Amino acid sequence: MQYSRYVVALLVVSWLGTTAPAFGAERPIPKSIQTLISNHCADCHQGENAQQGIDLTSSSTLLTAFEHSDTLDRVYSAVKRRKMPPTDAAPLSEGNRQALLSWLLQELTIRAKDAEPTQPVARRLTNFEYQNTIRDLVGFEVNLIEDLPKDPIAPYRFNNTAEFMRMGPEQFNRYLEAARKVMASAIVNPEPPEIHKTRVEWQPHGTDRGLGADEVGVWGNRRNTPATGMGVRSFPPNGEFRIRIQASAILPQGVKEIPLRLVLGYNLNENSSTLRIRPVGTISLSNTPDAPQVFEFRGRIENFPTQPGRVVNDKRQPDRLTITFQNLYDDGTLNDDQAFLSPRNIAMPRAVINWAEFEGPVFDSWPPSHHTRILFESPLRETDLNQYVAMVLERFMNRAYRRPVSEEEVQRFAKIYDIVRPQLPSFEAAMRETLAMVLVSPQFMYHAPESDDAHRDYALASRLSYFLWGTMPDESLLAAAANNQLSSAKNINNHVQRMLTDRSRTLQFLDNFSTQWLSLSKLHTVPINRELFPRFLYYVARGERAGTEVPYRPTIRDYMVDETVHFMHDLLSRNQSLLQIVDSDFAMLNQPLAYHYGIPGVQGHNLQRVKLPPDSPLGGILSQGSILIANSTGSAPHPIYRAVWLREAILGDEVPEPPADVPALSDTAGESADSALTIGQLLKQHRQKESCNACHASLDPWGLPFERYNSIGRFQPLNPREGTRVSPYSSNTHGDMAGYQRYLESINTEEVVARTILPTGVEIDGLPELKSHLIDQHSSSIAENLIRRLTGYALGRELTWRDTPAIENLVNQSKQVDYNLRDTIVLICQSELFHAQILP
Amino acid sequence: MNKSWHLDRRTLLKGGGVALALPLLQGMVRADSATLPKRMLVSYFAYGAYMPHGTAGIPVADKPHHEWSWWPCKDAGELTFNKSSAPFEPFKNDISYFRGLDHQGGWALGGHSSGDVFATGADMVGKEKTNNISIDQVAANTHGHKTRYASLVLGTEGGTGSYGRSKTLSHRGPGRPIPSLNKPQEIFNGLFNPYAGRGVEQVRAGLKRESSILDLLLEHSRSFQNKLGSHDQRKVDEYLESIRSLEKRVERTSEWTHKPLPNVDTKGLNIEVSHKDPQEYIRCMYDLVYLAFQTDSTRFASLMLESEQSSDSEMWNYATYALGYKGATHDIAHKRPADFSGQWDRWRAEQHAYFLERLKSTAEGDGTMLDRTVVLWGSAHPHASHSTKNYPIQLAGGSHLGLIHGKLHSFTGDRKVPLANLFVSMLHAVDTPVDSFADSTSDMTEIRG
Repeated sequence: MQYSRYVVALLVVSWLGTTAPAFGAERPIPKSIQTLISNHCADCHQGENAQQGIDLTSSSTLLTAFEHSDTLDRVYSAVKRRKMPPTDAAPLSEGNRQALLSWLLQELTIRAKDAEPTQPVARRLTNFEYQNTIRDLVGFEVNLIEDLPKDPIAPYRFNNTAEFMRMGPEQFNRYLEAARKVMASAIVNPEPPEIHKTRVEWQPHGTDRGLGADEVGVWGNRRNTPATGMGVRSFPPNGEFRIRIQASAILPQGVKEIPLRLVLGYNLNENSSTLRIRPVGTISLSNTPDAPQVFEFRGRIENFPTQPGRVVNDKRQPDRLTITFQNLYDDGTLNDDQAFLSPRNIAMPRAVINWAEFEGPVFDSWPPSHHTRILFESPLRETDLNQYVAMVLERFMNRAYRRPVSEEEVQRFAKIYDIVRPQLPSFEAAMRETLAMVLVSPQFMYHAPESDDAHRDYALASRLSYFLWGTMPDESLLAAAANNQLSSAKNINNHVQRMLTDRSRTLQFLDNFSTQWLSLSKLHTVPINRELFPRFLYYVARGERAGTEVPYRPTIRDYMVDETVHFMHDLLSRNQSLLQIVDSDFAMLNQPLAYHYGIPGVQGHNLQRVKLPPDSPLGGILSQGSILIANSTGSAPHPIYRAVWLREAILGDEVPEPPADVPALSDTAGESADSALTIGQLLKQHRQKESCNACHASLDPWGLPFERYNSIGRFQPLNPREGTRVSPYSSNTHGDMAGYQRYLESINTEEVVARTILPTGVEIDGLPELKSHLIDQHSSSIAENLIRRLTGYALGRELTWRDTPAIENLVNQSKQVDYNLRDTIVLICQSELFHAQILP
Repeated sequence: MNKSWHLDRRTLLKGGGVALALPLLQGMVRADSATLPKRMLVSYFAYGAYMPHGTAGIPVADKPHHEWSWWPCKDAGELTFNKSSAPFEPFKNDISYFRGLDHQGGWALGGHSSGDVFATGADMVGKEKTNNISIDQVAANTHGHKTRYASLVLGTEGGTGSYGRSKTLSHRGPGRPIPSLNKPQEIFNGLFNPYAGRGVEQVRAGLKRESSILDLLLEHSRSFQNKLGSHDQRKVDEYLESIRSLEKRVERTSEWTHKPLPNVDTKGLNIEVSHKDPQEYIRCMYDLVYLAFQTDSTRFASLMLESEQSSDSEMWNYATYALGYKGATHDIAHKRPADFSGQWDRWRAEQHAYFLERLKSTAEGDGTMLDRTVVLWGSAHPHASHSTKNYPIQLAGGSHLGLIHGKLHSFTGDRKVPLANLFVSMLHAVDTPVDSFADSTSDMTEIRG
């Protein structure tokens, strides 16, 4: 801008003094709006130094500012969320505010109608979608994600955003390998394979510290027991396997059941942190040893990591697999120091395994159904092989492409078959290679607008299916699409309702969605300070690795992710208000989680809805461990992390990164940074330093009300007195839970301060007050945020100013149905946005 | 307790198996130094380094040199070493330090993102929003055809990451990041066991078939692309480009099947290392670069040792696993605790010095491998971790490629020049004639022999 401030000021004056300039030829900015802007905004948003670079003053720059619809959208959002005008400026009367908002929205709506979309929507399947789609296409579980390059992660954003989804030769190569691996499993050779069997029995005698040789204690058991695993030396390279076990449980008084998990992979007795395993399944044991029962587990061998054989005398031994049994029972006393010593292991519930049997491959008929689904029985195979190949391709491609394929498309792959057949040893091998090519073609790998208008409903079926299930449409959706019976609001409603009753797929959707929306993944890497929290993680009690975290066992942190996902699922399946993410009268807990949070009376390994008393520190997701730990340092709560999280994930603000030229706060403390700045002192520094204060004044207050929740996600209203020497935790006197509690009570004597004044001037003390304030004052922002996140995720792109009018509409509709989550998702699927950009 | 996997790996990577490959380098294949390879590694560490008396990357005039500063000495000139840089003392005549260098393109990127452009110097805030070609790829474009692999792109976290959160240093060009590999076993197999046990004839036949199939697939994909709108067409370009470049690679692999694979024993080897053993893991990655160089499998490598945006990876806890620091590694950058900051830099220095030592102790021609390998090591921040100016930069090796070492060079105040000037000189050292790179203004005469 070449005007000096002085000139700009003159222009402002002259603009106000003359007739209103036209905004566009036919749409002048109403005089009343001009006056409003100059009275309420111009003080700060003026000239070259305008706040946020938004200059709303002179005649020419008013045009300039609003020439960018982005700016129009930002102004709309700021006024709507009452961020502008700020509290220290003259307030806008409600009438004026509404007038301004309605003009802005009207303007956005008009412009959005004419605007060409500028973002791509074509994108490759995410790794999550890719694996699920292949699974549904071939009809068995596949494990491919580990072999693909990782999808990018950006906090609070979704990796299905088209711009994020890159493709390069390295990726393509991996897809090619994955496709071949899948087809090697899907199409079998004609002759039935050799069956491999291994059986092991364990006897109850030969006790060690009171534990029989057939038992699995919560702290494991010695060698040659089911706790140390069962070696499988002979197994097929792929195919389905079955593990049968006869098991029961020794249950102390008051314990009804215990979780027993089977994992398959490396031998876990080796001392290494790189052993690889995958769980086969978890069962609940409630039957006693006098009534043993047989349980069955199934899986596909190629999905599990095999342990490479050693080289002995320059010869490589065969690869190995080990089945390990894990007793996952945890009543909160697992980390009692010295608990592993007798007689604690026998006082805890134990699993008894009499025998276990591995068998593979197992099949009801040969060839198995996943094979005949592709290479179906037909006389054509003998009479007209070319015709047969074309039919196989057509059937397979119709499903792989999620729409009917053309004759021409089929012929292209028939050509590939013709090339490879003479070079490969069998018909099956040639079909594997040909179909693998279908799986790397862009029609399979990409979501893209559907070029054929007749396929509109198919595209809609895919959009629904990838949104709610993260996978390809099922038979029912494809049938509806075939009959053009999908796009009406009523049919959309029916299908969405039906789809959301599929528990496992809906849970997968919510897991994928929530992990990214709430930026949960960092939960796993927060370094928990063991001296401060000696009982949180599972530690190895003895041996070379004593004191390190127990590997290869689910932790309370893992359950915390489940807690958040199941919480969302509960809201969804019971069609509760999405505002309950802020506060709810229930929590989703299992026994270890309940113990961690101090909720009595919860038994069992599966998460269950637990009613909370009115004054409970739990409820909603703000106080869930997943959020609290992910946004802490592992030693202390971190009000800034938590504030950023709240504003981004819940309120939908975009919190800018610290600017490059502003030094990190603690850097400014110079050489004495390490001389213990408490978070209070740090925040005080923020307020004192102007460059920090500009952003942090509106940030820090949102995090302080969380202060009574500690770094491992527990409610902790008392702290040690600052500056006093705290006597250290000692396993001799504080080893068990009661002793630990006494220890905590002896050191934590001071009330934690969680009081703050929000940027709006409201005083808040603690999380319950913050929750009520959010519900009272911010419910429409919270609803809008979740609706925006869901919609962006559903469409696979970031929302822009063009979408604001449609989102406004959705939020209003959602409010009509009390923001109920399932209804809201139906509304999203019925919305104009959801049905747009189906065609190019 | 069984630790044999551990021994396997160390013996193989450190000597045992590699001994088998040595004839390739000494004697038979090449004798005169004119045909000996010229190599380059670009490596990156995150969060800047400890610079207590000069947090902006330039020492404060009236303070003494800090024994734990990342800079080995205070003033420009002959190198002397402090506690932090002590591991490099044996390499005094093989290394140079550079003060005051940075990429202008990274200035406005934000304190957590400027690592994106460390090897590219792209102006990502302005006209190169999707980044641009990295220095290793420029060299690989010229000389990559001489080796089985044009380049080797490694990182500790793997993948490409996203803009502002890159997990790789290497880029083919705008919008074309190369995913970094981070699994040692996979890297090893890719380098030394690419045919996975199949015979050469079988591999060749497979490649020929693949080439013709990919051709058909490309045709099929074009018809798909043509029906899309222009934005989407551009998106699908990435896909078509991938097939094309895979086709080229197939051809290339096929040509290379006529040459013997390096004779490295791959049988029964397990070199997976967990991030929870940081020293083992990092050294394993360095070992793999060393092996790839030593067997002349490639001449250009990048290694992203750390990234700023690692809160979802175990890298977040490296300092905890390595030193017992009670907090995230990223906190060291912010809090700069006196007891850990220097030790952390020293730990990093030890790992890097380990790599230099391996190169230096391997004879090649009339010198060592280090003499013919240019090794860049640095970060995109000084001490103040949100600052994006005055990077810590160390260059090692290449004495037989025309580089002279042994000094700390200072480019502060009016002497300031772009880091890209050094890149130009590095490229010249590996026989890659470029007039400029990113925002370079010339080459760097100070290190030219």
